[in-house]
Amino acid sequence: MAEPPGDRSRPGAFARAWAKAVSGTSYLPMTHAQLEALLQRLTDELAEALRTEPLDLRAGYRVGGELVAAHIASAEGLGRTVEVLQLRLVRDLGLVADDIDDRMARLLAAVATGYARALRDRTLDEQESIRRATLAARTEAERALRASEARFRHQATHDALTDLPNRKLFADRLAAAVYEPEPRARRIGLCFLDVDRFKRVNDSYGHQAGDRVLVQMAHRLRRAVEDHLVARLGGDAFVILVERCTGTGDLVAVAEAVLAAVAEPTIVDGHEVTLTASVGIVERQVAGASPDELMRAADCTLHWAKGAGGARWELYDAERDGQELARQALSAAIPAGLERGEFYLDYQPLTSLHDGTLLGVEALVRWRHPQLGVLRPDRFIGLAEETGLIVPLGGWVLAEACREAGSWTSAIGEPPFVSVNLAVRQVHRPGLVQEVSGLLRRTGLPPRRLQLEITESTMMNTAEEPVLALRELADLGVRIAIDDFGTGYCNLAYLRDLPVTGLKVAGEFVRGLRAPEPHADERILASLVSLAHALDLTVTAEGVETGGQAERLRAIGCDAGQGWHFGRPAPAERFLANLR
Amino acid sequence: MQRPDWAPDDIDIERPSVARMYDYYLGGSHNFAADRAAARRMMEAVPDAPLMAQANRAFMRRAVQYLIDQGVRQFLDIGSGIPTLGNVHEIALRAAPDARVVYVDVDPVAVAHSREILAGDERAVVIREDLRRPDRILAHPDVRGLLDFSEPVAVLVVAVLHFVSDADRPADLLRTLREALVPGSYLVLSQASAEGRHEAQRAEAEKVYGRTDNPLWVRGRAELTAFFDGFELVEPGVVWVPQWRPETAESAENAEQAVFLGGVGRLDG
Repeated sequence: MAEPPGDRSRPGAFARAWAKAVSGTSYLPMTHAQLEALLQRLTDELAEALRTEPLDLRAGYRVGGELVAAHIASAEGLGRTVEVLQLRLVRDLGLVADDIDDRMARLLAAVATGYARALRDRTLDEQESIRRATLAARTEAERALRASEARFRHQATHDALTDLPNRKLFADRLAAAVYEPEPRARRIGLCFLDVDRFKRVNDSYGHQAGDRVLVQMAHRLRRAVEDHLVARLGGDAFVILVERCTGTGDLVAVAEAVLAAVAEPTIVDGHEVTLTASVGIVERQVAGASPDELMRAADCTLHWAKGAGGARWELYDAERDGQELARQALSAAIPAGLERGEFYLDYQPLTSLHDGTLLGVEALVRWRHPQLGVLRPDRFIGLAEETGLIVPLGGWVLAEACREAGSWTSAIGEPPFVSVNLAVRQVHRPGLVQEVSGLLRRTGLPPRRLQLEITESTMMNTAEEPVLALRELADLGVRIAIDDFGTGYCNLAYLRDLPVTGLKVAGEFVRGLRAPEPHADERILASLVSLAHALDLTVTAEGVETGGQAERLRAIGCDAGQGWHFGRPAPAERFLANLR
Repeated sequence: MQRPDWAPDDIDIERPSVARMYDYYLGGSHNFAADRAAARRMMEAVPDAPLMAQANRAFMRRAVQYLIDQGVRQFLDIGSGIPTLGNVHEIALRAAPDARVVYVDVDPVAVAHSREILAGDERAVVIREDLRRPDRILAHPDVRGLLDFSEPVAVLVVAVLHFVSDADRPADLLRTLREALVPGSYLVLSQASAEGRHEAQRAEAEKVYGRTDNPLWVRGRAELTAFFDGFELVEPGVVWVPQWRPETAESAENAEQAVFLGGVGRLDG
């Protein structure tokens, strides 16, 4: 049955057969009706070509290409198309011509050729497209990886709060600067900075507000010293690395700039606050420097600045640092020195100004240091007080003094009492009474032959507990003397309330007694003596160096004297010999 | 810190990709030798695998057309693969020029390819995300930028649930998606089933897919129906995909050969 050409509104029998033949050969992204419509159009084109003279093979190529473009692009799709065209096209469309078989064969070949060409092109395009997609995906993955690595590196070397370089990055940069391969006569400097009393900000406004302040500080520091590396070491501590400086002047300029930046008013939680900072500066030649030593020096200098009250910079001073290091080394050696018996006692006489008899002796500790020789207390007592080592050391002195004094004998009356200095920390330690009474019991030393010397400042801050301890000791019969009286804050009230038995007047009052005419010091001394006597206290003058001073003191009514005039500190044998 | 989910080395054309194998089943050439080798192994065990893929693809086409007819204009196609040969945005935009489509796939190559195809079209976008992280899909700025979740959205999870193991709690994933939708939204599901299949075929298919990044988890009709929890299944419910609103009676013949079960559910108010 022939179909009228050009009726494209409904697919003819041939197009329907063709659609049925190819459906299922590959995925066709269209409805069956769309497929039939498409194939009807192609059928019309082929029929037109077969009817036209001369035969235009380009119609066949075009149809083959359109089939591929419509995704009728599988091997089966081609096979079935060839089959249905060959079997039915001429017949179904009622095409008549002498050479119709010949024309059909040539047109079919053109369809197959066009189909193969189009499919090859499509395949190549798709292969190219998927390869391009693979490259794009890989590029994207690499970019993402680099971004994450860069982020990771940044996070590893920067402080999360302020985004300043962190300690690690700073250490790397410092090491790189110090160990730079080409050795040039270059100089390098560090500023260690610490906000003064930053804890107060945290305590008053909370840590979040404190963190915001740190972020502000970080911005200001970076702005103040743009050319140099600013790092946050942690907390409120920052450091600035100044490379290729020409001298301390450069560093001082940096320090001034950062101090000014910190001092700008800061708004904390709606309140305007003015902060200050301390800066430790170290500046030196690169040659021979080490990062650790530079950091330590800057840190130590920062502490000097803090110790001096803050809001300032300090320059590193090698001599001062050396002394402090030596002090620290000495302090660290105290426990071992105690253990090895390197400490011993000398005694200095306390002599009656009335009759010249030996009343007592003050025990003075000496340290026979294996390297430094014999050290006087002024070299190590202060250290021991700072570090708390005064407790074991003072305890040893007390015990040794009791032990030695307990063994003293005298052919002329009672042997002298021994006077021992007690540090603040010793007085404040619980168990002092038990310690002293235990010592007295073990050594057989009568309590009246022990005098404990405490300083005014000990008494000033004395709370209930230590006062009770002192009272108990006084009740035992132990003498309690106030040492260096007149040099600290004198609160006459405690002289009334405390169980004190005597005063030791500082040597500086005695020195004034050299003048031929009565001097203010003499009048002070005279008043002190009458005051002490009014309170039933004895008065011992320290630092008595001349017979004239001794004479004046006696005239004023002072009870006892101590000083070179009466005898220098010496081993106990020296004075014990005089008592036999 | 968040490391990238995948390294450049992961993009390995020597390892078969399920997206490119699917493209091969559909007659495409967006695939590499390893993909074709795996697909051919699959076709040795299950000769009609390409037909199944075609039937599934045809189901998706009909479903999208159906949704357009229902007035849906927003599509979220999760597990979109290589978006060639009648992809969702082609079907949807041809039928409704105001439609918007977001493609989601976990395969970086498929995503890159989609991006190339979609370049310049503001109505369709692709993101690289995983069906197993629905909250991240829903929060993605490109998804939020293109789709308006106060209006109905059709979520397509077509031929991808069989790559989600039970341990990944597919029902929970679908619930998370559902909770982001307003009434009038739809869920289109299809997945490979082992029902009516020889056990040996299933085992072989699992072996082939076991060598990809996406091992196979076949499920039955009851499980698939349960995945529509909260949705009202539209006629004819969960069926072999050729049976879902076929265009001709003929095309639904031998439907059980299709292996894929599918359905469409509507979220009612």
